[in-house]
Amino acid sequence: MNDVLVVFAGEIMRRIRSRPFIIGTALGAFAIAFFVEAPAIFSHAFSAQTDTIVLAGPPSLRLPAAELLRSDFTVVASVERLPQPVTTAFLDAHRHAAAAVGLTLDHGHVRVDVYPRDLAAFNDITFSSLAPLDFHVATGVPLARTRSLVRVDRRLHPLDTKFADSRSASMAHGVALGLVFILYLSIIIASQSVMASVAEEKTSRIAELLVATISPTDLLTGKTLAAATLALAQIAIWVATALFLFPGAASAVVSSSQGGGSAPAGMPVSAGVLVAFVAFFLIGFLQYATIYAAAASLISRTEDLGSVAMPVVLPAVAAFLIAQFTTVSPNAPLSVVVSFVPFLSPFVMFTRIAVATVPMWQIVVALALNALAAAACFYVAGKIYRVGMLLYGRLPSPRQIVAALRA
Amino acid sequence: MLLLDRVARSFGSVHAVQSVSFSVAGGSVFGLLGPNGAGKTTTMRMILGIYPPDSGTIAWKGQRIDARLRRRFGYLPEERGLYGRMRVREQIIYFARLHGLALGDAERRTDRWIEGLSLGEYATRNCSELSKGNQQKVQMACAAVHDPELLILDEPFSGLDPINAEALLDAMKGLVASGTTLLLSTHQMWQIERICSEFCIIAEGRVRAQGTLVQLRGAFPTRTVRVVPDTPAIRAVFDAAGALLQPSENDGVLYSLPADADFGALLRGAVAAGPVTTFERAEPSLTEIYLHALDGASRDAVAA
Repeated sequence: MNDVLVVFAGEIMRRIRSRPFIIGTALGAFAIAFFVEAPAIFSHAFSAQTDTIVLAGPPSLRLPAAELLRSDFTVVASVERLPQPVTTAFLDAHRHAAAAVGLTLDHGHVRVDVYPRDLAAFNDITFSSLAPLDFHVATGVPLARTRSLVRVDRRLHPLDTKFADSRSASMAHGVALGLVFILYLSIIIASQSVMASVAEEKTSRIAELLVATISPTDLLTGKTLAAATLALAQIAIWVATALFLFPGAASAVVSSSQGGGSAPAGMPVSAGVLVAFVAFFLIGFLQYATIYAAAASLISRTEDLGSVAMPVVLPAVAAFLIAQFTTVSPNAPLSVVVSFVPFLSPFVMFTRIAVATVPMWQIVVALALNALAAAACFYVAGKIYRVGMLLYGRLPSPRQIVAALRA
Repeated sequence: MLLLDRVARSFGSVHAVQSVSFSVAGGSVFGLLGPNGAGKTTTMRMILGIYPPDSGTIAWKGQRIDARLRRRFGYLPEERGLYGRMRVREQIIYFARLHGLALGDAERRTDRWIEGLSLGEYATRNCSELSKGNQQKVQMACAAVHDPELLILDEPFSGLDPINAEALLDAMKGLVASGTTLLLSTHQMWQIERICSEFCIIAEGRVRAQGTLVQLRGAFPTRTVRVVPDTPAIRAVFDAAGALLQPSENDGVLYSLPADADFGALLRGAVAAGPVTTFERAEPSLTEIYLHALDGASRDAVAA
């Protein structure tokens, strides 16, 4: 244990003074500031544009409404009334409609209840074309004469999300995108810092002195812990920057954590999301960092780093792209399945947690699978690392690596 | 005492070390000699536990070497490196701590080594800013800062200028005086001959000769005699004894004779053949012993 702590302290000391760490911390703070200021832009930029709806209500409302909405939407189904609650499965059953729109008469006025798949894709003006309907119903004046701007009581309802209104949901999408981006950057940068550290020891030939002094497992453990600690410190600095730029966030996070699961209106980041961020960062980092370390232990020249790093980064890139889709469709089959797959799960499951209500069992199963994967990665990477640290010359063949694993 | 008993290690089809046995007395300086690829580094790595031997045993003071024992060893590998962006003092302290020293003790010993190796003015500089010679001094300090019981040095003089080599030699002597056992390999015979009390010559993974210099010389089959002046009469005396004439860059002539030749009779014969100003019997140098052992290894290889 003492060896691990000595390596840990040594790594911290060397890394914290390194230029990449200082620059990365500063750039990360700027990135945070950007995402805090512009979540809405991102949420709209990435949210799906949808134009298919299920229209529900009595024929006296439904038929004129369909006529009014024709220019903006395709009505894929018309039903008498909507089920309660309206679910994604209901929309899926109706040609994967983007939203369900319920029309009812409420004290003589038309009420429009919208249940969109993606809250960010709908807003208060989306159904403004329905405005003449209210006047038509109240006065009996033909619809053609009532096409003027008349206020309609339009209400957006989330399908199964945890946000109180569309604005919170919209912000959550933006913030989720930002947080996934930071998660991706943090995991990759921190993992690659472990890779760089191993490569430095390998190429500077200090590796032999180190493995003659302490066990490679202790060396790898100390190195990994140090990189994780520094990455968390970096994230803390970034979050502090965000709180400085967005002072209301602090009280909102506190109140949401006191109030349980959901975030209050206007504040899309709950304490639970932050806890999930840290948990999935650590678990994702462990998987990537150990594999990166093993890969770096196989190279003899820094020029070879790129060729061994490329295959490792591909799952992270794929997961990042899937996470973009997940912000829009957190409960789509692809999102749900991938959120359990190690290497991809840290990004996708975290995104689902940030934008939707994920059943606790799914979170627990994902964490368990990832923990098992991290342990397996550490075991396999440790074996490769032990052999690789003293291996110089050409990159070993896959057969040699398998032989090392069997040793 | 370090004991290696029929130690072997292969890498695939390459038999790097084959049944190597030798012992190193505590507090002594032991020289491991051999050409590149002879198996020296593999042997050292097995002693340090970096590679486990395929067969045979390695023991220090009667105990098999484990992580706890290894902490009391020091190692200066042939391929040396330092953390370039770490300061000299911090680097030495780091290695002292890795060898289990408490921070205060590590700092005290580091300062002693920095002073002893005249590294004071570089203590707060990054190692990458140092000359190669000074980097090697830092590496030596890293290997020995914890006053190891056994210090293994693989080519410690490689790349050093004579002044730095002398400083390193002094540091080694200091360690030996304080009870450290040294096991070192080098191709620089004149250095190793000055400091080692016992030697082991290996080639192609096998021990070819071992013992003290006296023992190695005793086992050497020939001796060289330099005689001045070079006259036909004196040559006739040596020819009669079966001596081989060797070229000499100095005055006189060199003769190579079997080790058990009667040198007294030869001296008397030479003096009788004419005036002799120099009759000098030279003991074989370590280089000659080394080359002779390798020559035997080559013959074995050819025979195989």
